[in-house]
Amino acid sequence: MANIKELKKKIKSTKGTLKITQAMKLVSAAKLNKAQQAIQTTRPYATELEDTIKTVSALVQNYEHEYLKEDVENKKAALLVISANKGLCGGYNSQLAKKVRQFLGETDLDVKVYFIGKKVRDLIKTEVNEGKFYTFEKQDASFLEIQEVGKELAELFKTGEVGKVLVAYNIFESAIAFTPTVSQLLPMSLDEQVKAELQEKFPFDFKYDPNPKEILDTLIPESFSTSLWTAQLDANAAEHGSRMSAMDSAVRNCKDAIRSQTLTMNKLRQAAITTELIEVVSGAESLNA
Amino acid sequence: MNNYTVDILTPSKIVAKGIPAESLLVPTVRGQINVLKDHTHIVSKLGTGIVTVFGGEDDPDRYFSVTTGVCKVLDNKVIILANTSEEDHEIDVQRAKEALKHAQEQLQSSLSDEELTKYRRKVERAQLRVQLASYKG
Repeated sequence: MANIKELKKKIKSTKGTLKITQAMKLVSAAKLNKAQQAIQTTRPYATELEDTIKTVSALVQNYEHEYLKEDVENKKAALLVISANKGLCGGYNSQLAKKVRQFLGETDLDVKVYFIGKKVRDLIKTEVNEGKFYTFEKQDASFLEIQEVGKELAELFKTGEVGKVLVAYNIFESAIAFTPTVSQLLPMSLDEQVKAELQEKFPFDFKYDPNPKEILDTLIPESFSTSLWTAQLDANAAEHGSRMSAMDSAVRNCKDAIRSQTLTMNKLRQAAITTELIEVVSGAESLNA
Repeated sequence: MNNYTVDILTPSKIVAKGIPAESLLVPTVRGQINVLKDHTHIVSKLGTGIVTVFGGEDDPDRYFSVTTGVCKVLDNKVIILANTSEEDHEIDVQRAKEALKHAQEQLQSSLSDEELTKYRRKVERAQLRVQLASYKG
């Protein structure tokens, strides 16, 4: 049984932890707010852009772009894993690592793994064929920096060094939920079925100015870097959301611990007082006798 | 009379969402086009310039700057996807003028081809912003 002094010490240290977790929760909440706004303002642009490309490329005949070309023979692939640089964010990193492991186990591709964020890298780098590890000037990558990363990966694809470019990250769903995914960026292949559906939906063709080829030529690289950017923003928002909820439960745990420790301490103190009282009373009694 | 709606989206911001319009002027790479109600479906590449949204009798006219992107007109809904875009009242004239001056100075010095295009674009953008800001009056 612990003594009162020890318990007092313990309560004090738990209170310290509580303060830290509370502060971290507040910081994450503020960051989440910002990150959430960023992703929510970018998503409409990204979806609209993708939509336009899909429609236009489905309707236009005989169009070829290097980003659309599928090379079935090429079994090499580059996988970019976007994770966090810091821990203490619940299952954020470990779930993503699990997803990547699962993907690598199932695929028949020869995958080289590139990393943004060191946490998942630390978790899986011994098991995979490790490519480059990207770091940025600040904590979070800027749009230009992501564009650079995109250029490098696209270059690999263009030269035929890899046949596929994939990205793994956590999709931000809400402040408490995210989904780890692996999705393909290049080639931007369009399902035959989707194509047929679109052709049915738009029995007419658009008018193009100057011409569809030129439009797609500018849109496709734009869409590639935008999807990479949204992936980064998604990952970022999911990280802060995940950390916030992790810290929230940590705060709750701390409070519970403090309550139960205080209770034990009070019980012990009461017991000590009772024993003392009994001693005093019985001492007095024995004198009277 | 509101005939159709206009969305202006950029990678970093939703500049305008569903604003009502009666008529619209868009700068494409081959010159300005005017979009009215029941315009044919068109996908067009945008140049750098000013998008003018005429609201008609009930709604105010609004002016936006855009730099490169595409414009899609479909079923009385216009979607403008631009690299950057600003509405006239968001522009800081002082800053735009300074940026213009700076970029023009840079152009004077000898530069590599890459830098040259970069600063030419900067001058173009800054000029556009100064011009748009002067619309206010």
